[in-house]
Amino acid sequence: MSYSDKVIDHYNNPRNVGSMDKSSADVGTGLVGAPECGDVMKLQIKVNPQTNVIEDAKFKTFGCGSAIASSSLATEWVKGKTVDQALEIKNTEIVKELALPPVKIHCSVLAEDAIRAAIGDWKKKQEATKPAAVQTVQ
Amino acid sequence: MRAVHFCSSCGKVQPPVPVDYFMFFGFTAKLDLDTASLEKEFYALSRRLHPDLFAQANPEERAFSLEQSSMLNDAYRTLKDPIKRTEYLLRLEGIELEEQSKQATEKARATGELKKQVVPPDLLEEVFELNMHLEELGAQKKLGEDDPALLEEIGKAKLSLEEKHDALLHDLKTEWKKWDETIDNGREVDRPKILATMLDLLNRRNYIRNLLRDVNEAVE
Repeated sequence: MSYSDKVIDHYNNPRNVGSMDKSSADVGTGLVGAPECGDVMKLQIKVNPQTNVIEDAKFKTFGCGSAIASSSLATEWVKGKTVDQALEIKNTEIVKELALPPVKIHCSVLAEDAIRAAIGDWKKKQEATKPAAVQTVQ
Repeated sequence: MRAVHFCSSCGKVQPPVPVDYFMFFGFTAKLDLDTASLEKEFYALSRRLHPDLFAQANPEERAFSLEQSSMLNDAYRTLKDPIKRTEYLLRLEGIELEEQSKQATEKARATGELKKQVVPPDLLEEVFELNMHLEELGAQKKLGEDDPALLEEIGKAKLSLEEKHDALLHDLKTEWKKWDETIDNGREVDRPKILATMLDLLNRRNYIRNLLRDVNEAVE
């Protein structure tokens, strides 16, 4: 099996590697894993609370080249999107963009999971702060 | 009931019939199987099915012996290994090990709910942390530095992982016994839960095995 040029490019020059403060209210963190290969992927998003736009995204992946490329691409794609738009990203689009072979489809699944998990974490934080905001208004 | 390898009246080798690996050896699909009798059966059948014995036989028999031998080897390799045996049984029961994560993702997408992670979050955290340590160690090695505290940290993690690995195998064997009981008492209703537990244990083990491999490579 050989990697596509796009996978190699993301692998050699991963975009948005790093981490953000996971305790921050604007940051959503998704930590996911693929049992098929034992890979683990962390993806974080920073969301503008007024516009719900994802202003920044970071990732750190321990796994194969396809997993790194999938998560790198995922951070590129979510940036500038609203959280609802980001939830529309499907693993099949990642497969297509990176020309992943069938045995590496689970890497793209992992990236979609990571996006969803990060957004889920952010939403949970938003809901947790809501009742407090209502109380101050009252 | 054992699969038929030879004709009962003329004694000639037969084409393999599509049976599962357990049946191939005449076993019921039990997991806590006696590896000594598996080995005995394997050697006994190998001696009778080996293609060399059919060098003078007609082409059809030669082909059958080749097919039977090949199935014999696959069946033996699969059943003698505790993990492969368990995975094989899960597949027989219709669980697609490679597809579980994708299926869960598709479900989450359709329902809009958060996907249930196949691997528990606490283990993921641990895996992630240890990988960070290993990467740090690799970076230090490149610089020719050595941080004893970091090495100690990794050493401790390695021990904890080895303990976890042993505990998982122990738990898996407990599930085997439960499974085998359902074969004896015919309680099929108990099976889905046992299968789910075995799947969970195998998933955890995958992570731990990969991590142990990485740790061993890093500290060498």
